[in-house]
Amino acid sequence: MVTTISAGDWSERAQALAADGWWLADLCGVDHLRIGPRDERFGVVVQLLHHERKERQMIHVTAVGDPPTVPSIAAVWPTADFMEREAFDMFGIVFEGHPNLTRILMPDEWEGYPLRKDYGVGKVAVEFVEQPLLQISTPGQGPDQAESKVRVDRLGQVIEEGDAP
Amino acid sequence: MSTAEKIVTEIETRGQGAFVESYDPSDERMVINMGPVHPSTHGVLRLLLELDGETVTKCLPIIGYLHTGMEKECEDQNWRGAVTIVTRMDYLAPLSNEQVYSMAVEELLGIEVPPRGKYIRTMLAELNRLSSHLVWFGTQGLDMGAMSAMFYGFREREVILDFYEMVTGLRMNHGYIIPGGVWEDLPPGWERVLRNILDTFPKRIDEYESLLSANPIFVERTKGVGVMSRKDVLTLGASGPIARASGFDWDLRRDMPYEAYGDVSFGVPVEKNGDVYARYRVRVAEMRESLKIIQQLVDKMPGGDFKNMDPKLTPPPRDEMNRSMEAVIHHFKLVTQGYTVPAGEAYVAVESPRGELGVYVVSDGGTSPYRCHVRDPSFVNLQVLGPMVIGSLVADLIACIASVDPIMGGVDR
Repeated sequence: MVTTISAGDWSERAQALAADGWWLADLCGVDHLRIGPRDERFGVVVQLLHHERKERQMIHVTAVGDPPTVPSIAAVWPTADFMEREAFDMFGIVFEGHPNLTRILMPDEWEGYPLRKDYGVGKVAVEFVEQPLLQISTPGQGPDQAESKVRVDRLGQVIEEGDAP
Repeated sequence: MSTAEKIVTEIETRGQGAFVESYDPSDERMVINMGPVHPSTHGVLRLLLELDGETVTKCLPIIGYLHTGMEKECEDQNWRGAVTIVTRMDYLAPLSNEQVYSMAVEELLGIEVPPRGKYIRTMLAELNRLSSHLVWFGTQGLDMGAMSAMFYGFREREVILDFYEMVTGLRMNHGYIIPGGVWEDLPPGWERVLRNILDTFPKRIDEYESLLSANPIFVERTKGVGVMSRKDVLTLGASGPIARASGFDWDLRRDMPYEAYGDVSFGVPVEKNGDVYARYRVRVAEMRESLKIIQQLVDKMPGGDFKNMDPKLTPPPRDEMNRSMEAVIHHFKLVTQGYTVPAGEAYVAVESPRGELGVYVVSDGGTSPYRCHVRDPSFVNLQVLGPMVIGSLVADLIACIASVDPIMGGVDR
């Protein structure tokens, strides 16, 4: 059974379904850029399972606006917490009312949303931005030794001028 | 502020050493990192812990260290080729991954798998449950200080991996189960090897139980630790042995049978206590039930085709390609382009060793998946870990991680 509902009705509908005993099995985002004539590009696909009736149902929630927005259901089904974060991370779908909507799989400083259809494979030249704490400078090596006054060791602790080996 | 000054400020605010995130002497709480590289975190799981002395007051799993964009990679493969990607996700249950992906594609194609194909797939998925639970048994024991559990678990797992190698050609990441059936028929002599496994295994499981089940140290460290109520696990979406250890009697193999599970009889072990020991009991009992299922499948193994012989879907047999030009053309088309799948979407779920493993595939009518999302049980089950360990000791946290049995390849995909 597949139903399509708009983002506006989703919050209310989810509460009714949860009260009816439906269990959230899965939630993921989909980018409809190259598929079918649709009004909105992004959608959220929700899989529900009813343990007593042994039934499944699929719900398509259309995300509206820019950035695409859908109300969060993490309060209705707490298990949606990670799933919504993943959909945000991969598609840039914003879940309104989510307690902690941050990237979950990609690095925090990542730009772009990898599973979008206009995000090509192999387009990214540099994977990680420079993080000063991870730089290890060994005495007598490295080009920037002269200008850097403070040096940190492997554990991020400052090496004093005097006790360098 | 210069970069150097920033570093100094950051180190000052972070406190002593890079592993301590913050330290507030007034309430004596400390935020520390556990992982991502830690022997007890089973891969690259990082836990941000807030500790009050030795008690955990907050536990936040931070994941993504093994993320390689496998769902994106699937979109670049043809339908058959994506099997080789999904099998690498949950690397301890590769055959379950292949099975569920193939079932989803078959649903879109609207094709049937011959009975022999179904039986082979079910049999391998159950063997996979055994080999996966044996790794869990080893690591759970190891984390509790019982190093011999690791040796025993891996000794028996080796026997099963040898059987995989005999059947699929590989020990892990097989790419053996394909949409339409399995890649090759079972090799000659498979039954003798498998019956040998089935004969020795019950005694071996007794041996494991004698190692840990009544071991005072193990029982002391696991009973009453990491207790989750039935309501908690359901709310947090946990499935599989974790849910069954908390008294939630649900198993997709029995309640929504797929493949050959309708033809075999087996029990679903359920425990009430919901602690680490209950999860241990459930998994060990599951191994015995898996043996029963495999035994029945071997006895009933039907003859006939092992895959759907539609030449537009699976490559023709080798000897036919030596004789028939048409077969060569079919093979060429399948290898270079692959087959198309009617536009549509499907969600199929199976009971993997860790719980509900689902695949959601979308087709735009082309030769590769438009979207292939995997609902990995480890990813969802990991959310249980935070609430599970609040108020327990750091040492108990180790027991809890092992009992959740997260596979980071599946969590991060």
